[in-house]
Amino acid sequence: MDKRRHIIAPALLSLLLIASLVWGYNQNQSRINYETALENTYQRLFFDIKKHVENVQVNLSKALVASSKEQNVVLFSQIMNEAFFAKEKLSQMPITHAETAKTEKFLTQTADYASYLIKKHMQGEDITQDQRETLNSLQSNSQAFNQELSKLHDSLMDSNFALGAMSNQQKKNVEEGNNQVFQTSLVTMDKQMGKIPELIYDGPFSDQIVNKKAVGLPKNDVSLNDAQKAAQDFFGRDRVKGIEAFEEGEHINEARLPAYTFHLYPNSQSKDLAVYMGVSRKGGKVVWMENPRPVSNAKLSIKNAEEKALKYLKEKGFENMEANYSLKYNGSILFNFANTQDDITIYPDLIKVKVALDTGEIVGFNASAYYMNNQERNITSPHLTEEEARAKIKTDFNIDSARLAIIPSGANEVLCYEFKGKYNKSDFIVYINALDGREEQILQIIKDENGTLTF
Amino acid sequence: MKKFIIITTVLSMVLLSVFSFYEPHASKQSGFYAPRILYWGSQGQDVRTVQDKLLRWGYYDGKVDGVYGARTYRAVRKFQAKNGLTVDGVVGTSTAKALGMATAATTTASTGGVDRKTDEYLLARAIHGEARGEPYVGKVAVAAVILNRTRSSSFPNTVASVIYQPLAFTAVADGQINLTPNKDSINAARDALNGWDPTYGCLYYWNPVTATSKWIWSRKVMLKIGKHWFGV
Repeated sequence: MDKRRHIIAPALLSLLLIASLVWGYNQNQSRINYETALENTYQRLFFDIKKHVENVQVNLSKALVASSKEQNVVLFSQIMNEAFFAKEKLSQMPITHAETAKTEKFLTQTADYASYLIKKHMQGEDITQDQRETLNSLQSNSQAFNQELSKLHDSLMDSNFALGAMSNQQKKNVEEGNNQVFQTSLVTMDKQMGKIPELIYDGPFSDQIVNKKAVGLPKNDVSLNDAQKAAQDFFGRDRVKGIEAFEEGEHINEARLPAYTFHLYPNSQSKDLAVYMGVSRKGGKVVWMENPRPVSNAKLSIKNAEEKALKYLKEKGFENMEANYSLKYNGSILFNFANTQDDITIYPDLIKVKVALDTGEIVGFNASAYYMNNQERNITSPHLTEEEARAKIKTDFNIDSARLAIIPSGANEVLCYEFKGKYNKSDFIVYINALDGREEQILQIIKDENGTLTF
Repeated sequence: MKKFIIITTVLSMVLLSVFSFYEPHASKQSGFYAPRILYWGSQGQDVRTVQDKLLRWGYYDGKVDGVYGARTYRAVRKFQAKNGLTVDGVVGTSTAKALGMATAATTTASTGGVDRKTDEYLLARAIHGEARGEPYVGKVAVAAVILNRTRSSSFPNTVASVIYQPLAFTAVADGQINLTPNKDSINAARDALNGWDPTYGCLYYWNPVTATSKWIWSRKVMLKIGKHWFGV
């Protein structure tokens, strides 16, 4: 009996040992599985990127040879696709943004440029000498990129290291590998990409559009004190008990819309519910305002709220504004107001006003689009009559209303006939260029119980 | 006696092997989906949010463990009774609203599935993970940076691919993005989507106390909002 008792404890302990071994083994197995799965994903991404860049390079070379528009359109659409794919996949690799920013930019702009050329071709224009040179430089850059990827590929095959870094041991390997091949290679590539001159074209990712500066502001510089006064006056001097400026960095003047930013402390609200306001450094205009106070008892009608918003805009010196779409959220309603001139709606001059539906107080104001775009406009009279423009539209599109409007188109603005209507039970807006009759844009309108969105 | 030992050995073997092959499902990321209806047996981050709120308001006295059990059930019923809600022990839309939890907006058939809710919710989760301790304007700013990135040529061009870009956001890497966003985060996401940008076009932000990358300091610094510096 005693002897048996002596066996129990060691037996249980050895059982526990076995159990924990089994458990550990399982854990290790699943870890290896996860690592392999991740590693495979990264490997796949890398090989894909290589292939896509290759295709970009080859198609660019072909485009330089091709002489017909049809062929060019096919090639450019392939370039656009392949470059976007490469960029998408590059951004999924476990590499820091700092090491690939310029390479990604190169790929985005190559795709964007191809799409721009497709548009030009469709409008019947030929490739100019400048564009040909741009294509040439894109081609040589993608070639350099591709060669670098080839080198990287070879060294990856040699050292056989993992791209993903999960376990400690692997991490060490990858860190070494990274330092030696991967990072160095990508950093070299990124540096080369940094030397490429700016691409000049009209597309959403071109530097001219991304770096556009505000044109709607006065030229005079405004001091912090004056801006502070402007902010207080805008909100109502007697309604605030304190104002405080945000800390600024040294490059604030290089912002898209350089401004002073303030906390305003209203009398009626507790200190942690500040109102935020941005005042432009040029001209001292209030660019945006946001009051995040909670709205509890929404009782105002949309019509009432719109009147309040319009009155507010008049008080702030914005005449001729016209409410367009509204969106209800969080007890407030947001109106999009567009400027008008001679009964023509000017969409680029956009001001957003948010009205709290409890008291009708304005709790949000955003005129950044207005100040970015507003300027003296000489609107040329349309070359097409409304009837002529109407004839350009699909016959079974049921037009509810028509009017003239100016809409943004890339870096420019175009005068269009705006046709609102229905097709297949869905709402659309079709814009027909009033000067040359081109179909400039189509927007789909999505309405739900809270308001309207355009896509 | 010998039999007894053998039986216990076998039994404990079985038990132990069950234990060793047990996959901890409960520890997997939860709260992955938009707020849902919670009831007895529900598990996840959103349950934890409910428990945390009820605990702070004195309805709940159990552990905040993310498991909807008897205590949570009783606490929810108590809360519902006090607040004039249907006393059913289920956290549906109205109870969640009374608790101040963000609820997914009602679905609309008329839009054909085209809407902004997916972007809105994902953005709100990113804000909640990255900046829940920040003032409201700091939340809008973080969302604005994400949206500015989607329009930049050196970043991916959708909200999801910007947020999930490897090594881009710490809250994504450590799983905090899967917490259920609160009302403030959702509102900040909406304001940013509606065009409010307190950063004037910035693409980066960093916390000067915790930022480890030297590179980030080579950015052009614009302004400081809350704890974060913003720059391009």
